[in-house]
Amino acid sequence: MSLTTTKAANAGLHGVVAASLLRYGLILALIVVFAIFSAITPTFLTLTNLQSVLVNNFPLLAIISIAMTFAVASGGIDLSVGTAMDFASFAFVSLVLAGQPVAIAALAGLAAGALVGAFNALLISVIGVSPFLATLGTLFIGRSVQQLLTNGGNPVYLPPNGVPEVFRFLGHGTLAGFPVPLAIAIIIAVATAVMFVHTRFGRITLSIGIQPSVVRYSGIAAPAYIAATFVLVGLIAAVGGLILTATVTVYIPSSGNAFLLNAIGATFIGTTLSPLGRPNVGGTILGVLLLSIVANGLLLTDLNFYWQQVGTGTLIFAVLALSFINRKAGSGA
Amino acid sequence: MTVIPLKQPSTLQQDVIRLEGIVKGFGGAQALAGASLVVRRGTIHGLVGQNGAGKSTLIKLLAGLHQPDGGRIEIEGQAFDRLTPHLAEELGIHFIHQDRLLVPTFTVGEALFLGREPRIAGTPFLDRRLMQRRAAEILNDYFGVRLPNTALIGDLSTAEKQIVQITRALLNQPKVLVFDEPTAALVRREADILFRLIRRLRDEGVTIIYISHYLNEIEQLCDHVTVLRNGQDVASSPISETSAAAIARLMVERDIQDMFPKPVVALGDEILKVEQLSAPGKYEDVSFTLRRGEVLGLTGLLGSGAKELVRTLFGLEKPASGRIDIGGRPAHLSNPTQATGRNVALVPEDRRRHGIALDLSVKENTSLSSLDRFTRFGFLDRKSEQREVDALIARLQVKASGRDALLRTLSGGNQQKVAIAKWLSRHSEVYLLDEPTVGVDIGSKVEIYTLIGELAARGAGVIVLSSDLPELIGITDRILVFFRGRVVREFASSEATADRVLAESTGSPEGQRHVG
Repeated sequence: MSLTTTKAANAGLHGVVAASLLRYGLILALIVVFAIFSAITPTFLTLTNLQSVLVNNFPLLAIISIAMTFAVASGGIDLSVGTAMDFASFAFVSLVLAGQPVAIAALAGLAAGALVGAFNALLISVIGVSPFLATLGTLFIGRSVQQLLTNGGNPVYLPPNGVPEVFRFLGHGTLAGFPVPLAIAIIIAVATAVMFVHTRFGRITLSIGIQPSVVRYSGIAAPAYIAATFVLVGLIAAVGGLILTATVTVYIPSSGNAFLLNAIGATFIGTTLSPLGRPNVGGTILGVLLLSIVANGLLLTDLNFYWQQVGTGTLIFAVLALSFINRKAGSGA
Repeated sequence: MTVIPLKQPSTLQQDVIRLEGIVKGFGGAQALAGASLVVRRGTIHGLVGQNGAGKSTLIKLLAGLHQPDGGRIEIEGQAFDRLTPHLAEELGIHFIHQDRLLVPTFTVGEALFLGREPRIAGTPFLDRRLMQRRAAEILNDYFGVRLPNTALIGDLSTAEKQIVQITRALLNQPKVLVFDEPTAALVRREADILFRLIRRLRDEGVTIIYISHYLNEIEQLCDHVTVLRNGQDVASSPISETSAAAIARLMVERDIQDMFPKPVVALGDEILKVEQLSAPGKYEDVSFTLRRGEVLGLTGLLGSGAKELVRTLFGLEKPASGRIDIGGRPAHLSNPTQATGRNVALVPEDRRRHGIALDLSVKENTSLSSLDRFTRFGFLDRKSEQREVDALIARLQVKASGRDALLRTLSGGNQQKVAIAKWLSRHSEVYLLDEPTVGVDIGSKVEIYTLIGELAARGAGVIVLSSDLPELIGITDRILVFFRGRVVREFASSEATADRVLAESTGSPEGQRHVG
């Protein structure tokens, strides 16, 4: 009892400021970044540019980051989200080229992504490999398999006239005024956000991430939940893979890995800047927005393209600094 | 921030430390309301009180970590209006904290000499040989152990870490050593070694302040004791003029016979039956029954098999042979999921690792094992979950700022109530309580004892594993004593005494014991 009063008293105004910085930190950061780029580049604050951010960069990264958020919430990480995307993409393109209907090919794509997740689940829950190492292995194996299947990494094109209309719709159509990829990203975000907060599965996944031993001692078969989580991660990533293929009408081996680092970044930004320090879909989405805007804004400045990664890195340092300030205030030091 | 000595010491004072009328508040809460502590040179001075009585605040004032709002501080006859950590160290006051963890990636040598590494004269280089020699001298002389300076702190046992902490203090030739709950994580044998060391330090002239929840330790070790209650010292006397029972009464304003509120419960059907259960190397041929309404005590030394048996009943270990029946049907318990499926509950000894999650809220911890109850088609019914959790918080008198408070912010006693509440939420019927009051203050202890009685009264079967024998005798109906894997004796609790139970559990029952 005396401990908590001590903290409250010591934290004082400093603590209040830091706590609200943290609570609204992501939104504040978004506003600041937004303001800066609006001021220094003429093209940033234009409808065309903002649309391009939301339509081109945002949806795919958001979907992959949500998948990553599940893996992180369960106490692990999934380095093979790109692999699941690629396998979904490859399965789809191969089946379409083999003359299968689009629906069958798309289902096979989703199944391929889930299969990558199931392979991770097998390694993690049955054999007991740590998620980091298991999915790193899957990442390497996946890359080799793709090279073997494509004669050393050659792209596989969908025939220009052979792309069915329905699939073109997935990549370029609109749904209730939203571009389809964005609409799908929003649907997945809402569904998974509900899942985290309002379902038994979400609660248990988060609890496992926080303290697996207690979950086990509560009579819950934690490995089964972790396995289900990784299959789900593969499945969500596969949706991303299909959208990517629908947009570019080509399967490029190992192209999904391009999203990996940003997805990890967005997830940890969202986790770090949430009041309880827990992985959460809302935070992840804000993290994705932040990363997308910084990348886009830097592109519009006259800076060399290669400064973009410096921008991302600086952003992550800033987030760490903010959470550090808060932790100091929170511990009453 | 300067510290003004008001008076110079004239002669060697009889009282090393005089804290008088200390007042300290935090926000609205008054942690100390005129507390005094006078410690005589060369004595072991016990400081006891419930959680929140002001012990740790008083000690933190002495360490210079808090500043008093009022009162007098006198060290060696020299008056101060406040202390700083640096000044406390200069005055020769050192602290052995259970909680102040050493950095696990440091070596023993680094941890011992951190911040005051001896250097080779005239060079900036560390004198590693001198460090090694001085550390080895103290370690060998006081503890009779050898800890290589290059060993990693993270690889040491709790007892060894404590040895490093004490050694670090001894290297500074302390005048006053303050031990804060030093035995909380030690096994009996290690605690005995610590007590011998503390007595020896006293005999060498070091003044000791000893803080503990365990009144038997205070009675056995200290020369003098001060009792704090609600931020004030309610008694201070030589240990020879008081007793553990009197101290406990002063701490809680409650009579000791009220400590163990055991209700009389009519026993119901047999709910658990263990027959010839064996796991080689752990326990052999254990048989007993447990009826509804019954509280069965198990006790035994480390390795006696009692703990392993409890783990088996929760599916954490597998027996090699034998049979377990729950509610009249055979039970195959090969994992905790199967055990909870048969309505078995375990409140584990290592609360912070297995019992509760510090970073989950009261609500999340409480409902974790019973989420099925609050789930419809996979979705949580948060209203009914909140209702159940709120009801349990009220029933168990869990002191927390609300159902969304993280367990990290609760005291040990309240954390333990949550560890029990999560099984009440599941309506468990067989409760396995492993050391249920370890690290729990006396007030919460009594509440937990009351709760155990209630569980039995509502028709649950309860098994309590405890090495606190007065507690075990006070709250159980029967006691099974384990020794080297076997049940060597069964007592009716009403006929058991701590001496007899202890004698059985150490393998020296009456008649066979050598006097000496």
